[in-house]
Amino acid sequence: MPGKRVFITGMGIISAIGTGVEETLVSLRNNASGIGSIEIVDTLLKSKLIAGEIKVPNDKLLELTGVKKNAYYTRTSLLGIAALQEAMQMSKLDPSRQKTGFINATTVGGMSDMEKCYFDLVDPTTKSNENGLADCLDCADCTEKIADHFNIKDWIATISTACSSSANAILYGARLIKSGQLDVAVCGGTDALTRFTLNGFNSLKNIDPSPCMPFDENRNGLNLGEAAAYVILESEEQLQRSDNKPLAELSGYRNFNEAFHPTAPSPNGEGALIAMQETIQMAGLQPADISYINVHGTATLNNDLSEGIALKRLFGENVPLFSSTKPFTGHTLAAAGAVEAVFSIRSLQEQIIYANLNFKSPIPELGLSPVTLLQTDKTVNHVLSNSFGFGGNNASLLFSKYV
Amino acid sequence: MAETTPAFYLVNMFNPVYITSARAICAQDTFSNNNLPEEIKVFEQNILNYHEPDYKQYFTIMQLRRMTRIIKIGLVTAIEALKDAKLEHPQAIITGTAKGSMTDTEKFLHDIVDFNEGTLNPTAFIQSTYNALNGLIALHHNANGYNSTYVHRGFSLENSLMDAIMLFEENRIENALIGCFEEMTAEHYELKKKMGYWKNEAMKNINLLDSSTAGTIAGEGTFFLTLNKNAENAIATLSGLRMLYNADEALVKITFKNFLAEHNLSLDEVDAVFLSYNGNIETRHFEDAISQQLSPSTNQLAFKHLCGEFDTAAGFALWAATKVLQHQTIHPSLIFKKGTSSTLKNVVIYNQYNGKEHAFYLLEKQ
Repeated sequence: MPGKRVFITGMGIISAIGTGVEETLVSLRNNASGIGSIEIVDTLLKSKLIAGEIKVPNDKLLELTGVKKNAYYTRTSLLGIAALQEAMQMSKLDPSRQKTGFINATTVGGMSDMEKCYFDLVDPTTKSNENGLADCLDCADCTEKIADHFNIKDWIATISTACSSSANAILYGARLIKSGQLDVAVCGGTDALTRFTLNGFNSLKNIDPSPCMPFDENRNGLNLGEAAAYVILESEEQLQRSDNKPLAELSGYRNFNEAFHPTAPSPNGEGALIAMQETIQMAGLQPADISYINVHGTATLNNDLSEGIALKRLFGENVPLFSSTKPFTGHTLAAAGAVEAVFSIRSLQEQIIYANLNFKSPIPELGLSPVTLLQTDKTVNHVLSNSFGFGGNNASLLFSKYV
Repeated sequence: MAETTPAFYLVNMFNPVYITSARAICAQDTFSNNNLPEEIKVFEQNILNYHEPDYKQYFTIMQLRRMTRIIKIGLVTAIEALKDAKLEHPQAIITGTAKGSMTDTEKFLHDIVDFNEGTLNPTAFIQSTYNALNGLIALHHNANGYNSTYVHRGFSLENSLMDAIMLFEENRIENALIGCFEEMTAEHYELKKKMGYWKNEAMKNINLLDSSTAGTIAGEGTFFLTLNKNAENAIATLSGLRMLYNADEALVKITFKNFLAEHNLSLDEVDAVFLSYNGNIETRHFEDAISQQLSPSTNQLAFKHLCGEFDTAAGFALWAATKVLQHQTIHPSLIFKKGTSSTLKNVVIYNQYNGKEHAFYLLEKQ
C-alpha cells in the first residue's frame, strides 16, 4: 500500500548469542554460535538434544529487568521485558505522549513456567496459585505484563501464527500506523524454550541432534532456541515530533497462506515465492535490488528445499547473497521474525552480511550456496527477511537503508 | 489502572464493512436454525458446554477420528458461514482465540509425562498450535491469501476484525472470513477456579443476571462471520469498533459517549445495547456504568447467561446482534431491560473481559 512510510527507530534483543544488540553483533561477527547443551529447561531430552538456550536464569532476568515481583512473571515475560527495555531506551519514547500500541507474538506463552507446576495447579486437592501463576499459560499474559511494565495501552494485540508470528506482528503494527490508528507501534515476539516445544518438535522428528546445517545437502533438521526481540516503528509525522533518526525503513511486507498442508510447505515453494515477490513489489523494487536475504532456513528437509526453489523461481540465476542465521540462535519460533528483523537492520547499518554456519555442500536439486563467511565489503541497501510457518503461514519483510 | 482521562483519544473510524453471514455453535442450540432456539437450555452446573452439531454430514469417520473437538466445531461453523454467504474461497481468513485447543495442549502435557518424553504422537502438539484451525479452514476451502490468528483474550476477535477492516481499506481484499473459538476443559476449569474465577455455589445460568456473589460461570463458543466490502446481500453493517485496555469505569463511560458521538448518534438513537453482565458483582460496575447512562428507549440486552463466560464471548453478542438486525426482532431471552424504541436500527455491543479488555461495537441495520 503506498502512502505513509514506516521507520524503525529502536530495537532490542536477547537470544542465545547475547543480551542486547551490541553483544549480539559481536557474536554474529565472530561466527560464535549460541547453540549448545540444555541447562535451564528441565527436560530428559537434554541428554539427546542441543538448543539455543539463553544462559541467564530467571532470577538474573528479574535483576536485569528490575521487575518487582508483585505478580508472577514467566520467563517469556521477563525475556520480553529485557529485550524491549533496550528498544525503548534507544527510541526514548514515552508511550503516553502519542498513540502507542504493543503488538506481541508468542507460540506457547507462559508454558515455560506453567509446565513445571501444571499438574499441581490442575489438581483440585492442592491450593497453590503463587502470585497468579495459574493465569500465565495463555499467550496474552506475557503481552499484558510487558505492556504494563512499559505503560503501553492504546492498542494491545498478540499474534500466534507459529514461526511467522513476529513477522506478522511487525506488519500488523506497520499497517496500524499507515491506517492512522497509531503513531508508534512496538512490535516483536518472545518465546522461552520449553519442554513442551522440545518434545513437540522432537515428535515431528525434525530436530537435528547436532548443530543445524541450513541449506546443506546433509541437513537433518532444526535446533530450537529461545529469544525475545522488538522493533519500534514510527510514522513519518511522528518522527518530526520524536526527532528520532531512523535506523532503517520497513519498505515492504506480505503475509500469504499457501493452503497446502498443515505442517509442510509446498514442494514448489508457492507460498514463499508470493510472499517474497509481493513484498519486493510493495517497495517498488525489482528482485535485482535485493542485496541480502536473511532466509527462514530452518535446516529441515522440507523448508530449505521449498524456500530454495522459491528463491530460484523468483531470482532465476541471480539469487542474491543469502544466509540463515538459525545456526547462531536456533529457531526461536514466534521471536524468529523479530530476531531476524534486528539482524537485517544491523546488516544495513553495518554493511555486513552474516555467515550461514555449518554449511558444506549445496542441496543437489538447488545448487545454491549461502554466504559462509562474514561479508564486510558488500553494499547492503535492501534486506529481505523470510518467516515461514506451520499451517502454511508465510510472511516476508523488507528493510531498506535509511537515506 | 487509568485514573485520568488521557490527553487524546484513539479515534479509529473506518468505512463500514458488511456482514454477509454469521454462524454460531455454543451451549445453546444456535446452529440448527441459525438463531436462538425457542426454548433456552438451562444448565444446573457452572459449565455451559457446547451443544455439538452432527458432524457426519461434514466429515468421513476417518477424518473425524483425526480431528479434535474444537477443530471439528470450528470447521463446521466456518463451512456454514461461507455457505450462507455463497463464498467458496475467502480472500482472508483471520481468527481469534485466547486458548486454542485446550484439549490438545493438555493432552500433550500429559503425554510428555506419561511417556517419559519418549516417542510421542505429534497430533496433539500440531493441533495445540493456535493457528491450526485457521490453516485447516484455508486447506479445506483452498483459500490462499491473507491468514492470521490473534490470541489476546478479550481482544482476540476485535483484532481479527480490525485486521480485516484494514485489508479492505488497503484494497487488498473484497471479502473475508472472521471467527473466534474457545473451549472449556475440566483441567482448565480447575485452573481458573484457583484464580477465584468461578462462582463457588452452583448457579443456574438463567438466574445468572440476578446473582449477588462474586465469580461467573464458564462457557464455550465458536462464531464465524463473513465480511464484504460491498453492501450487496448484507445482513448487517459493522460501522464501529473500539478497544480499550485496562480502563477504569470513568474511562469506559467517556469512551462510550465519544464512541456514539463519533458516529453521530445520540443516546436516543441507540435501539439496543448488548451488555456483558456475567453475574460477577465485582465487575458489574463496568456494565452498570453504561447501563445507567442509557436512554429509556434503548433495549438493554444481556448474553452471558446464555453462553457462559469465556475470552471471546463477544463473538456471541456479535452473532446475536446480526440476528436482531437481520430479523428485526429481539429474542426474549436476551432482554435485560426492555426499552421503548420501536425501531431496530443501531445496535451497540459493550463487552469487558476480566475488567481488563473492554470493547465497543456499533452495528447497523442494512
